[in-house]
Amino acid sequence: MEYGNHAHQLPTDLGAPAPVLRWRFRAMSATAIFAVLSGIDLLISHRFDYVLRGWLMGLMICLSFCIGGLALLMVQWVTGGKWGLLLRRPLEAMSRTLPLVFLMFLPIAIFAKRLYIWARVTDPQAALHAGLIDAMQAHAIAYKRPYLNVEGFWIRGVAYFIIFGIFVYFLNRWSLQRDFDTQHGNRFWQKRFENLSGPGLVVYSLVLTGMCVDWVMSLDPTWFSSMFGFMFIVSQGYAALALAILMVLALAQYEPIQSIFRVTEQHDLGKLLFAFVMLNIYMAFSQYLIIWSGNLPNEIRWYMDRITGGWGPIAGLDFLFHWVLPFFLLLSRDLKRNKRRLATVCCIMLFARFWDTWWLIAPNFSGDSRNLHFSFGMLQYIFVPAAMVALWMAYYFTTLRTRGLVALNDPHLPEILEPEHAHA
Amino acid sequence: MPVREGIYGLLAEFDTPTELVVAAKASYNAGYRRMDCYTPYPVEEAAEAMGFDEPKEKGVSRVCLLGGILGGLAMFTLESWISIWAYPLNIAGRGKFSWVAFIIPAYEWTILWAGLCAGFGMLALNRLPAPYHPLFNAPNFRNGATSDKFFLCLEADDPRFSMTDTRSLLESLHPVSVIEVEH
Repeated sequence: MEYGNHAHQLPTDLGAPAPVLRWRFRAMSATAIFAVLSGIDLLISHRFDYVLRGWLMGLMICLSFCIGGLALLMVQWVTGGKWGLLLRRPLEAMSRTLPLVFLMFLPIAIFAKRLYIWARVTDPQAALHAGLIDAMQAHAIAYKRPYLNVEGFWIRGVAYFIIFGIFVYFLNRWSLQRDFDTQHGNRFWQKRFENLSGPGLVVYSLVLTGMCVDWVMSLDPTWFSSMFGFMFIVSQGYAALALAILMVLALAQYEPIQSIFRVTEQHDLGKLLFAFVMLNIYMAFSQYLIIWSGNLPNEIRWYMDRITGGWGPIAGLDFLFHWVLPFFLLLSRDLKRNKRRLATVCCIMLFARFWDTWWLIAPNFSGDSRNLHFSFGMLQYIFVPAAMVALWMAYYFTTLRTRGLVALNDPHLPEILEPEHAHA
Repeated sequence: MPVREGIYGLLAEFDTPTELVVAAKASYNAGYRRMDCYTPYPVEEAAEAMGFDEPKEKGVSRVCLLGGILGGLAMFTLESWISIWAYPLNIAGRGKFSWVAFIIPAYEWTILWAGLCAGFGMLALNRLPAPYHPLFNAPNFRNGATSDKFFLCLEADDPRFSMTDTRSLLESLHPVSVIEVEH
C-alpha cells in the first residue's frame, strides 16, 4: 500500500560523501586565486592598511561561521528538536574550525597599531596638537586607555578563544562518546549537554560582546552602543544558520544525510531562518532608532560616517539584501520547502553578511568615512575576505570528514528516519 | 435562508487513516474537487491528497498577507498624515516626515492585522461557525467522526458528481459503508 510504513535505513558508512573532497579542492583553488589577486592589488595600491582592514572583515565573517555554529549547536542542545539532529554534525564541524580562526586573529593583534587608532596614538594630547586627531577622539582615547590598550587586547583576545575552545572541546568530545555509548541512557547525555549548553549560551553572549567591542566597535573609539553585541550575536546566528542550511541542502544529495533529510525539517529550518531575519532587523533598527531619537553628537556621527558621502546607497542596499529580499522570499511556504530556492535565499543572506560587515568596518577609517570612492585599496575588501572565507571553507570540509555526519544514539534518530508525517 | 433539499453528498466510512488517504487521492485523481475528509485527529496526508497544496487552496495565507500589508500601510499613512498635514510637528529639527519613528506602530499594525486576518479569515473561509452541517444527519458520522472512524465525503455540488458513478467509485475503495447524506 502506498502509505505503508517505510522507515529509512541508515547506510553503514556515515562518513562525508566523496563530493566534499571536490568542494574542498574548489575552496582551496578560490583561496589561491583571491590571495594572488590580493597580492597584485597590494602591488598596485601600495596600501597594506587595506589588506589589514579586509583581513578584519574576513576574520569577523569566519568568526561568525565558527562561533555562530557553536552557538546554534548549544541552542539545539537546549531546545531539542529533530532539526537539531539534522544540523548537529555540520554545526560541530563549524565549531571545530576555531584553531583556524585563532590563527586569523593573530595578524590583527600583531598589526593592531596599523588598524586601531587607539593603539597607534600613544599620547593623545600630542596627537591632538599635531592635528592628527580631533578633541573628541583625544578625550575618548585617553579616557578609555585602561581598556583599550594593546596588552589588554592581546590578553582578552587569547582569553576569548580559550573560553570558546573549552565549549568546543567538550561539546564535540561528548557527542562522539555518545555515539558508541551503551552504559548511560539518553537522559544522562541530554542532561550533560544541557548543563553545558545553557550556561554556555550566557557565556557566549558575554564573550562575543567583548569580541565585537574589541575588534570592530573600537575602530572608532569615540563611539559606543549597548546594542552592538546583540547585533553581532543575532547576525552570527543569521550567517551560521544560512551556511548550515546551505551545507545540509548540498549534503542531502548524497548519503548519509539523504536518508535523514525530510521536507518537514527543511520547512522548520526555513522558519527558523525567517525568525533570524526578523530578529536581525529588529536589532539593527533598534540601535538606529535609539541613536536617531537621541540625536547626540557623540553617537550620531557613527551613522553619519556611514550614510553621507556616497555611503547612503550602500546602507540602503544593506537593508535590501539583509531584510527586504530574505523576508519577502521566506514568507512563501513553497519556497521554504523547495531545496533550490531555499539555497538561493541562503546565498543572498550570506552575501548580505559580507555587504554588512564591509559597511560596518570600512567607513571607520579617515579617507573612507563619509567619502565613498573607488581606490585599488578598497578592492581588498573583496579579495582578502574572499580568500579567507574560501580557506575557512576548505578547513571546514576537512573537519566535516573527520566523523560521521549522523549523530547516533539519539532518541530523535528513529523519528527522523520515519517517512514524513509519521505521527499521523 | 431557504431550506435546501436533496442530497448533500455521498459519505464513505473507513476504519483506518491509510484507507481514507488512498480513497481521497483516488477521488482527487478521478477529478473530484468538492470533497472533504473528516478524521478524529489531524491527518496531514489527507489534506495533501485533496490537493491542499495547490495555489487555489491558499486562501488563508493570501488573506493574512493582504491584512499585513494593508495594516502596515494604514498605520504608516495615518502617522504621515497626522505629522505632515493634520497636526504638523517638527520635533528636534528632524522634519515633519520622521519615518523612523513611524516604523514601530506601522510594524505593530502589520502584525496585528496579519494575525486578525489569519484567524478570522480561516474561520470565514471554513464557513465557521456552522451551527448546522448536513453530515450530522448521518448516524455513523455522529458517532464515529470524533472517536475512531475516518470519513470521506464527495459533495453533490461537484460537477462530476453522479449518484451511480460516484457511489461505484467509493465502493471500489473498500469502505465500511457508503451512504447518502441529505441536506
